[in-house]
Amino acid sequence: MNRNQVHSILLSAFVLAAALGATNPAQAQDAKQPYAAMAPIEQYLMDRDAEIALARSAAPDSISHDAGVLVLTRHGFEAAIKGTNGFVCIVGRGWSSAADPDFWNPKVRVPMCANAAAARSYLLRITKITDLTLAGHTLAQVNDAMAVAVTSKELPPMEPGAMCYMMSKQGYGGDSAPHWPSHLMFFYSDTDPAVWGANLPGSPVIAVADPQERLTQFVITTQRWSDGTEAR
Amino acid sequence: MNRNQIHSILLSALAIAAALGATNPAHAQNAKQPYATMAPIEQYLMDRDGEIALARSAAPDAISHDATVVVLTRHGYETAVEGTNGWVCWVGRSWMAMFDHPEFWNPKVRAADCVNPPAARSVLPYAYKRTELILAGHSKLEVIAAIKAAIDKKELPVLEQGTVSYMMSKASYLTDYGNHNMPHLMFFQSEKNDAAWGANLTNSPVLAVNYWYLSADQYPQLKTFPPMSVFLIGVDKWSDGTPASPM
Repeated sequence: MNRNQVHSILLSAFVLAAALGATNPAQAQDAKQPYAAMAPIEQYLMDRDAEIALARSAAPDSISHDAGVLVLTRHGFEAAIKGTNGFVCIVGRGWSSAADPDFWNPKVRVPMCANAAAARSYLLRITKITDLTLAGHTLAQVNDAMAVAVTSKELPPMEPGAMCYMMSKQGYGGDSAPHWPSHLMFFYSDTDPAVWGANLPGSPVIAVADPQERLTQFVITTQRWSDGTEAR
Repeated sequence: MNRNQIHSILLSALAIAAALGATNPAHAQNAKQPYATMAPIEQYLMDRDGEIALARSAAPDAISHDATVVVLTRHGYETAVEGTNGWVCWVGRSWMAMFDHPEFWNPKVRAADCVNPPAARSVLPYAYKRTELILAGHSKLEVIAAIKAAIDKKELPVLEQGTVSYMMSKASYLTDYGNHNMPHLMFFQSEKNDAAWGANLTNSPVLAVNYWYLSADQYPQLKTFPPMSVFLIGVDKWSDGTPASPM
């Protein structure tokens, strides 16, 4: 299972649907058609101030106001704001933060604010995937390169306590799951989802383990958006 | 229900209670009066089958059905049901709150809890030890000293990574405040401050407290204990799948 299949499953769980690509190859194939190749780079870029605002919307202002912010440029993510509280906010694009059919979808915008432990571990994967993608690598090549980088320890394992906020009302998760519910994510290396009781009937925890990246992502939905309004 | 009441509920219960005194000194003072000392032991005990059922109600049946269940006796917790999935369900009593918590001796507290295997190995031993010492009649100061000695002698384990606790029972009584209960998950971390998860900030869904104390003023020796923060995240359903009021 590759990284974007993992996203597919998480997204599907959110919308209470079956895993997109895994369970319905025909649908996945259809969905892939509109985004068979990379769009012009301009379509993935945003106005800098708007991207900063969108990134910050991932967490309550009490967290994101003092967070660092990364923004996408033609050559990868770069620091737009140096934070003071250890959190780093970023807007993920399709190649790092959506299901496989949306890998090249230029509309995808996924805001997240990672805590310091995740900024030093998980976010390095987001920026690495972005660098590879902007350098012209395909999805398969990105997946292979990421697996090698993890195995060779070029990319570190998840730090203890690594987590992120994904509580923005805005953003676009892709055509298969346009609007994600407000949630938190927790990142572990080499961890069985069962350890948290995830994915069992009645459990509030969703999780997927990606053996290639040796990454387990736990998701817990929250009851409010980052602005404090009720999320259901 | 306002945010401070939610804080009170989430934080007070679980061994890990809230900054009641910090957020509302008047309430804290009033709350201290009824529970100045330990009540007769009978008031903390339960019918064995009732306790097993309550303990299991902390998590969805998919988890608790195959969990080990421990129940309180006059001398401490003992295994009532041997499980097969590594999880342990139990019902915490008021003395699992921080040592300076105003409801430390509240005999009405019944905090149903199912902990995952890492928490069963590295958090529950602290609860068992504290309970045995209290039921043996030791004072808080003696309990604190004995736990510290056990930590120093490595009789108590180091906190493992990935500890999780489900507290989703409809039937728990966590505190005298508010609606007395709220479904939530808890995570134990060796953190010295709440900032690591952005806890306790405006609109953050994460609450955090120190495992040992509300304020170290009353028992300053607790400052020398290994740091342990408890992070709490409210969830929108009870363990039986019925919806809960939003936080």
